[in-house]
Amino acid sequence: MRKIILLILIMSLGAALNSTLNQRGFVRSYLGILSDDESFSIAQNTFDLRLDYRKNDLNLYVNPVLKYDNLSEELTLSLRQSYIDIYFADFDLRIGKQQIVWGKADGVFITDVISPRDLSEFIMPDFEEIRIGINALKFDYYLGNSTLEAIWIPTFQSTIQPDAGSIWFPETGEFQQPVQISEPEKVAGKFSNSDVAVKFSHLGSLLDLELMTAYLWDDTPAQHKFLQVDSSLLIIPKYHRLPMAGASFSKAISGAVARMEAAYYFEKRLHTADLITHGICRKDYLHYLIGYDHNWFNVDVSFQFVQEFIRNYEDIITKDEFTNTLTMMLNKTFLRETMTLNIFSYYGLNDDDALLRLKLSYDFSGGLNILAGYNLFTGDTGNFGQFNDNDMAYLKVRLDF
Amino acid sequence: MKRITIILLLMLNVIIALTAMEINGREIMQKVYERPTGNDQTAELTMILINSRGNERERLIQQYQKDYGDVEKKIMFFIAPADVHNTAFMNWSYTEAGKDDDQWIYLPALKRIKRISSDSKSDYFMGSDFTYDDLGDRHPVQDEHTVLREEEFEGEMCYVVESIPKENDYIYSKTISWVVQDSWLGKKKEFYDEDGDLLKILTVKQVEKIKDFDIITNSEMHNVQSDHKTIMMLKDVKLDSGIDDSNFTERMMKRGL
Repeated sequence: MRKIILLILIMSLGAALNSTLNQRGFVRSYLGILSDDESFSIAQNTFDLRLDYRKNDLNLYVNPVLKYDNLSEELTLSLRQSYIDIYFADFDLRIGKQQIVWGKADGVFITDVISPRDLSEFIMPDFEEIRIGINALKFDYYLGNSTLEAIWIPTFQSTIQPDAGSIWFPETGEFQQPVQISEPEKVAGKFSNSDVAVKFSHLGSLLDLELMTAYLWDDTPAQHKFLQVDSSLLIIPKYHRLPMAGASFSKAISGAVARMEAAYYFEKRLHTADLITHGICRKDYLHYLIGYDHNWFNVDVSFQFVQEFIRNYEDIITKDEFTNTLTMMLNKTFLRETMTLNIFSYYGLNDDDALLRLKLSYDFSGGLNILAGYNLFTGDTGNFGQFNDNDMAYLKVRLDF
Repeated sequence: MKRITIILLLMLNVIIALTAMEINGREIMQKVYERPTGNDQTAELTMILINSRGNERERLIQQYQKDYGDVEKKIMFFIAPADVHNTAFMNWSYTEAGKDDDQWIYLPALKRIKRISSDSKSDYFMGSDFTYDDLGDRHPVQDEHTVLREEEFEGEMCYVVESIPKENDYIYSKTISWVVQDSWLGKKKEFYDEDGDLLKILTVKQVEKIKDFDIITNSEMHNVQSDHKTIMMLKDVKLDSGIDDSNFTERMMKRGL
């Protein structure tokens, strides 16, 4: 009840400031059914409000989200973003809880690592809902078509993993002995634990370019394993620093667009089978993507090849030295852009597994949109094959205002 | 005899002079292309899409454009419908023949500027009857132009010019334009499909004199094959207001209106 009162208060404040306040958002009903046993996996109702108050060189943006989960009967109120922009002649400041997006990849996170992710439903929600807003100070300095961005993130925010009972809880492998998993070690809230990041970007006729570097925390904890006296295994999740440098570009070539994005991570903690080193080793790690977008016969087509590469590889490392993934996207609109068919597929070359996401949506006038979709997983192992039982049909009815 | 020869020579001179004065199709379309409309323009664009049953949909856009001589830059902010609010589209169109446009789109949900392929010029803009190509200025060197006739259209004498594209895979097999003599304003244009059948008719409904420039503020594109129409209206048009170059940047695409 308090949550609803709080939301009403926010809306009342909006009404009071109505002359300069933009109120937008959507109401959505979302129902998902697992193909295997016809059980409901999702039954949510969401009210997503976006308040935008602009006055002179100031902008206030608040995005409260009220969500009711019919399955757990839980009502949650959260702030996806809440920040203030201050505009100057040549630079802007953004202060507050915000989502920060880097890179040029579609459906894959390469250099887009500033905002942690909510993976409680794997990568099924829209990316806007997967990214978690972080408390940050963002400074953007503009010089013509170039931008220099500096980010300071004073407090740590981890990626949200699925609950142990969730259908999206990842495979952890078979252990020979009893396992005890402790709570992750918290990153203390102090200045020296801040994240900092810098990005240079240029948008121009020749090409679009981004160069970035960051001193971050890996927001997914490494699982340190300790063999106990009673032969059981104690797993302590710990967060570690993860410096990175990256680049991305996109360029128009003969009516198509070629894209590339790469991130190099220094001394990433990787899991191993060696308990002497507590199941952890440090290796440099490269994650990159090559993409190609074209329009054939009025169908937008996009291909991406994604590779993860571990330098100085050792056989004890659980992950493969090379992990290769292909993605393909097809997008076609019909009936004067009122109907859209979108297919996005991931194919894991290492494990011969795949995820095919099929969406068909129709825009009615007045902001009403109905989307029917199907997620198909294939394979037995790998990023997608592990969820082979989670094939799901779903329906989203959304009203934008 | 000498007098007759002189008269014949004079008549021949007059004929040659008249022939030299007659303007050809290429020159007409070059004048249409170069017709001054101000160096920069700000306007609110409303598109009303009307289907064959008379049902209407509305699109609202705030647009800014500026001519830099060798490149024309345009940025559009989508205001309505609500689901595309604050989507921004930027286009840089070059006068250099054969040079592709640069195009970017900013989708607020993705919070990312994405370069898009300019090869999709045959796509219809926001579900309207205008393709991206119809909205741009097609360079006259891309077509072969022939003056078919001169005739009166809505009280004004017009050149009727047929333009056949030089490239084989262009979306139209030909277009026919009605160009007002002296003002070089296109009043009507017919678009023919790949089979040579009439596909669409563009009709200018209203022209306003703004800062001494003739600006088309109301036009209608009628797809005669599907009986679908799009009315395009410009409001609050401001010309030569000195739009700052910083309006056509990544910063403005992300900031929005």
